[in-house]
Amino acid sequence: MKKTILIFSAFLSLLIIQQVKAQEKTISGTVTSKGENPVPLPGVNVIVKGTTKGAQTDFDGKYTIEASLGDVLEFSYVGLTSASVTVGTSNTVDVAMEESLEQLEDVVVTALGIQKSRKSLTYAAQDINADELSKVRQTNPVNSLSGKVSGLVINRSSSGAGGSVKVTLRGNSSLGNNQPLYVVDGIPLSNPTGGQPIDTFGDINGGNKDGGDVLALINPDDIESLTVLKGASASALYGSAGLNGVILITTKKGRAGSFKVDFSSNVLVEDAAYYIDLNDNAESNIEDFFNTGVTSITSVSASGGTENAQTYFSYSNTFASGILPTNDLKQHTINIRETATFFDGALTANASVLATTQTIDNRPVSGLYFNPLVGAYNFDSPGERLSDYENFEQLDPDRNIQSQRWFRATSDIEQNPYWILNRNASEDMNRKLLASMNLKFRISDWLSVQTRGTYDQSFLSYDKQVFATTEATLAPANGRYIFNEQDIRQIYGDVIVNINKQYNKISLSANVGATTTRNTVEILNADSGTNGGLQFANVFSIQNFNANPGVSFSQTSLEKKVNSIFGSATVGFDEKVFIDLTARNDWSSSLPSSNNSYFYPSVGVTGIISEIFDIGDVLFGKIRASYAEVGNDVPANTVFPERQILFGGGLSPLDPVRPLGEVRPEQQESFEIGTEWRFFQDRFGFDVGYYRTNTIDQYFQVAVSTGAGSVTVGVNSGDIVNEGFEASVFVVPVQTENFKWTSNINFAANDNEVEKISNPSDEVQIDNQVISPPGVNTFASYLVEGGSYGDIYAQVVKRDADGRPVVEGGAIVINDQNPENTIAGLEKVGNANPDFALGWNNSITYKNINIDFLIDGRFGGETISMTEAIVEGLSNNTARETENAAIEVVNEAGEVSTLTAQEYYGLAGGRNGFTGEYVYSATNIRLAELAVGYNFKLSESSFFRNIKASLIGNNLFFFYKDAPHDPNVSLSTGNALQGVDILGLPSTRSWGLNINLSF
Amino acid sequence: MKNTSNILLSGIVVFSMIFSSCSEGLDDIDGNPRNITQEQLEVDFQNVGSLYKPMFENIYQYTPPWSFQLQQNLNADVFSGYMTNPRPFVAGANNTTYNLVSGWNNFIWSVPYSNVMNNAKTIENETKDEFPELFAVSQILKVTAMHRVSDVFGPIVYTKFGESATTSEYDSQQEAYNAFFSDLEEAIQILSDNIDSPRFTAFDLSYGGNYENWIKYANALRLRLAIRISKVDPTTAKMEGEKSLNHPNGVIETNADSFFVNGTLDHPVKTINNSWGDIRMNASMESILVGYEDPRVDSYFDSSEVTEGEFKGIRNGLSLLPGYDDELAQKADYIDFSLLADDVLTPRVQLMTAAEVFFLKAEAALRGWSGAGTAQANYEQGITTSFQQYSLGGSSDYITNAILTPKDYVDPVTPTNNIAALSTITIAWDEAATNEEKLERIITQKWIAMFPEGQEAWSEYRRTGYPKIFPVVSNQSGGVVDTDLQIRRIPFVDSELQTNPDGVADAVNKLGGSDNAGTRLWWDVPGGNF
Repeated sequence: MKKTILIFSAFLSLLIIQQVKAQEKTISGTVTSKGENPVPLPGVNVIVKGTTKGAQTDFDGKYTIEASLGDVLEFSYVGLTSASVTVGTSNTVDVAMEESLEQLEDVVVTALGIQKSRKSLTYAAQDINADELSKVRQTNPVNSLSGKVSGLVINRSSSGAGGSVKVTLRGNSSLGNNQPLYVVDGIPLSNPTGGQPIDTFGDINGGNKDGGDVLALINPDDIESLTVLKGASASALYGSAGLNGVILITTKKGRAGSFKVDFSSNVLVEDAAYYIDLNDNAESNIEDFFNTGVTSITSVSASGGTENAQTYFSYSNTFASGILPTNDLKQHTINIRETATFFDGALTANASVLATTQTIDNRPVSGLYFNPLVGAYNFDSPGERLSDYENFEQLDPDRNIQSQRWFRATSDIEQNPYWILNRNASEDMNRKLLASMNLKFRISDWLSVQTRGTYDQSFLSYDKQVFATTEATLAPANGRYIFNEQDIRQIYGDVIVNINKQYNKISLSANVGATTTRNTVEILNADSGTNGGLQFANVFSIQNFNANPGVSFSQTSLEKKVNSIFGSATVGFDEKVFIDLTARNDWSSSLPSSNNSYFYPSVGVTGIISEIFDIGDVLFGKIRASYAEVGNDVPANTVFPERQILFGGGLSPLDPVRPLGEVRPEQQESFEIGTEWRFFQDRFGFDVGYYRTNTIDQYFQVAVSTGAGSVTVGVNSGDIVNEGFEASVFVVPVQTENFKWTSNINFAANDNEVEKISNPSDEVQIDNQVISPPGVNTFASYLVEGGSYGDIYAQVVKRDADGRPVVEGGAIVINDQNPENTIAGLEKVGNANPDFALGWNNSITYKNINIDFLIDGRFGGETISMTEAIVEGLSNNTARETENAAIEVVNEAGEVSTLTAQEYYGLAGGRNGFTGEYVYSATNIRLAELAVGYNFKLSESSFFRNIKASLIGNNLFFFYKDAPHDPNVSLSTGNALQGVDILGLPSTRSWGLNINLSF
Repeated sequence: MKNTSNILLSGIVVFSMIFSSCSEGLDDIDGNPRNITQEQLEVDFQNVGSLYKPMFENIYQYTPPWSFQLQQNLNADVFSGYMTNPRPFVAGANNTTYNLVSGWNNFIWSVPYSNVMNNAKTIENETKDEFPELFAVSQILKVTAMHRVSDVFGPIVYTKFGESATTSEYDSQQEAYNAFFSDLEEAIQILSDNIDSPRFTAFDLSYGGNYENWIKYANALRLRLAIRISKVDPTTAKMEGEKSLNHPNGVIETNADSFFVNGTLDHPVKTINNSWGDIRMNASMESILVGYEDPRVDSYFDSSEVTEGEFKGIRNGLSLLPGYDDELAQKADYIDFSLLADDVLTPRVQLMTAAEVFFLKAEAALRGWSGAGTAQANYEQGITTSFQQYSLGGSSDYITNAILTPKDYVDPVTPTNNIAALSTITIAWDEAATNEEKLERIITQKWIAMFPEGQEAWSEYRRTGYPKIFPVVSNQSGGVVDTDLQIRRIPFVDSELQTNPDGVADAVNKLGGSDNAGTRLWWDVPGGNF
């Protein structure tokens, strides 16, 4: 396949036709902005219409180009109305360009980097420009999207700087991956999430750790714009990878003629702000325990070049120390991008290299194991302060070893927090290399061919050193060492033929192409284990492992290859009606060879109402509709996994999952309609849409009766529906010469329903699929027919008619009144997902001052504070336990008695207690972002081109919040553990200063 | 325009090339080459050989210890009166207070099914015709594991295991026991016919490939199962028991022949006891061993720190006691009671001792089975053999002691837990006593000798009512379990209720009572033992 692409590329290069023209002369001129104070515009593209010849203006707005008499010169620049001038006798052509009001003519980057005019889109796409991302800086740029794109829900992980982000577009549908595809300059990125927590305990092999994600490794300053393609119609060309929507990132590149240096520096300080309601003593201990986090992000970029070759170079670094003591992050990113044109612009070559290294010490964990917050929240030693235990070890003369100090016996989940931070410390090292090459041949003015290739490697390593005298459930007597390396590579290649043709009033824009993607994952895991142990205490190396089957070593190699061909065509009728068709066929190595090919089409139509009819004040109006099907394969080694060899332990005991019958590709069908309008000189507009998506035939792994001789079978089944409504409205209420206020409102409601879990014809009928397994604790999430994705289940207290808890024989009685919503003793108590989300984003400019703020609201949904349950189970540190009011309870016979709050919550609390007592509404409205900036007026002679300083604030306060924690923070950016806080790091409030210099 | 056609034509040619190559070369990619394929597994017959180790190590699960903790330690090991958890898990609302935690019970079921039953099925398919002796040993291990499961739940999936891809049909406990007998009979016959085959030596974690020992063990196991059903089905019991008692190879009679699994890892209870501090001596053990001044107490337990120098057990079924706000505070006090001693927590996991076999024979003698010898001789030999197992002297004085009785229990931390001894049974054999009293003596001594294997001890307690172990302090079963009769079984597990509801409904029918912890199993017949 790769070879085929190479041959094809070589073949096409032979087809390039040297064009010969006579009687050319050199035209030169200056391009400026229109208005009272025209300024020279650098970087304006100048082309000779109908040819491939082009130039760009330099720093002073000057250009030169070869053209003949009668040729038409076209001048274009993003954000300005293009201008064209016919070459006359004069050799000088000066142009003044006007700011474009009609941004509707914008070209948007769509799937595979294919550019389309915005008005021809038959689906919803929303753009965010670089400013929006860098105004209030986040270490992970995706965090900045919250509230700014309708239908997109961001849940940040609780693991601090360098943590991953859960992005959900139009609801969850899959038991596998629900995250969108990230595409940088047309090339899909591999997004290894490095493992996500699934269990309430947290992984005993290192705590519930967040493996981070790829976006945290990208420098936000390199991003020029970001486009969100929400539905399957938009992303059908990406195939299964784009099933959950696509986030397209366009990075900056050099511009001809100008040399520009940008420098930006951000400093943010953050404090733990939103956690459970503790008593004064515990509160002051916690305040002492948490640090003020400091994040500094510095980036510098330089760009410039000649007409034929442009360079963009950037370097950035991030140094962050978290609110958790000892947690810090260091990150360095370099990005080089070269663009060159050859043969009079017939061949454009683009090459870029991105390299990142990231080191994170003590990335915060969630869940119960290895979590310092358990000890910190539950510290209640009379007469002592938590800080007395900052000195976390003391000499044990019997062993001649420094051993853990704590005010009481440690337990599996509770240790001295300072001991965990210093003697159970972890280090994550992540490196990423992304090298890509793109060649584009312009064969004629209507035909071009491009071919691209990428090598994308992520290398993730994790090292955890657990010292002797750590609690025995977590480590044996001599300590424990965990070492894990993951090498994840993706090689991507494609070739695409682009056709743009106009036949009278009919326009055709079409593409055909082929891609191949090969993913390889190599994992090495070594863990001396909870039973195996180390030979010598506190020596952390693999050679120090005890030679017994209690230690684990494993290597995993997985590979997946997907080949595809695709085609798309957009036919325009008089620029008023557009019809869009796409088709794609994939062949995937992860499906059985008998069934590894799957085809899927999409069709869309849009009509520009404002051009078809003449409607008064309407600047622009269109309607759109589209339908798409997208096929999906399964992860590598899912269908026929082999039995595993266990180090020193023979074979894994269970027969691996086996398909029950034939395995089919999964499928998603989606339909959407929408309309977009702009009025009153573009001061008001809206875009509303409706969608419905059915995800059917997912490959479920289904537990079967133990007596069947196997534990799980694989079966294609289910139908999960997401249906929703999205609206974005913009309005410019005030616009004068010195004052402008722009306001954007984004609204989205998604309704998820599990229509079917089993098809009636399936050999195995199931009632539910587990999303978060309860284990021996009392939080779970299940997919149940008639329920919704994200339903949360808890152990609920039985109550009498007056709502009094039933307590019998010294124990609270489990509610048995709702059996149809109860699975294995846990009752449905809510859903982790919001009913609707509303973001209100404002930008106010007065002369040189601008004020931006974002109010982000989510309405509906529930969340459980297992943190509070744990604290009430292990101590009396919550405020209500300290107040210790009397609580009336009844026994089964109806006799009333009272318990103190300490007694009652002592019974209700704990990880496996009555989690139903800890359910809160997840509704919250916050002032998410605030930025006040000043643009310094600089004289013409200034060394600097631009200086801007701003004061920024993040997550400043809640207008409304019910839960003790921030419900938008999620323990996992996978599917599990949504709607529960289990000792996640508290959400923070941050303030900072942002300085941008360009010269 | 001609150029255009050429380009389009070339394009079509190229795309048809791509199309034809798209599906090629994808077949061999999927899979993890670091794992093992069926073909690789067949080298050295490991497709069979590698299956035995997990069977040996999961009858009584070696690792991970937390899984064993749920499989047996917080269940049968506590119900048997051997041990107690110092921490009142789930604020005291857990299995030990009869407030059953369904998430725990799954392990009792899934561990043997996943590791023993599955493997036995594969071994049966691969060896029954060609290497029957390998099949025979696997059948003995299978019965060893599955009678324990049946003794917890009653009906189990046994004869119809693996017949459907997704669901399964249960056998009644009677059907299961009959199948155990016929499987053991077949295995004993096969091994007798292939007594010199060396094939199992490499895989044997118990007897080094010696089939004579395996036959003795199989006979002893059959005797155990026969005694178990002696009340409910005396005819079958006598017939099966006498087969063992009169078999030319005999039953286990020396400590060297006892059935242990020689594991390579620490005893799981050692981790739970020493490292986690999650299990301690039970008050019933203290009452009987200390009351009898039994020297085995030093082999089984360490003296406590709570009452310096004395052995101290904890009452089972403790709720979150008054005065404690949380589990850990209560544990902090009870962790200082007597630990289990390292002597009983070696990597050799004890499943059947010679002493137990003598006590089985003693009971068989009481029941008049041929080949059993006399009850008294077997009883006394049982005690002597148990003393020898721990290299203890003084058994002759002990055997003749007709004065000492179990002692009253005193909780040094929470006096409300104090309780008077429930029995006045003495040690010395009294030939003039009633059969019932003789049986109490036999079972009480068998109970001491079988420590720390709580599963068999709990089964025998339910069958006979002996020894008289203390009831739970807190009974949170909501009236389902009678405090004095104590817990009779564990309900069918959630994983089965969810994946096999029709099978479980049928199993409840076969159980003959409600699917709860108060329902008696088939062999658990109320009333006197004779």
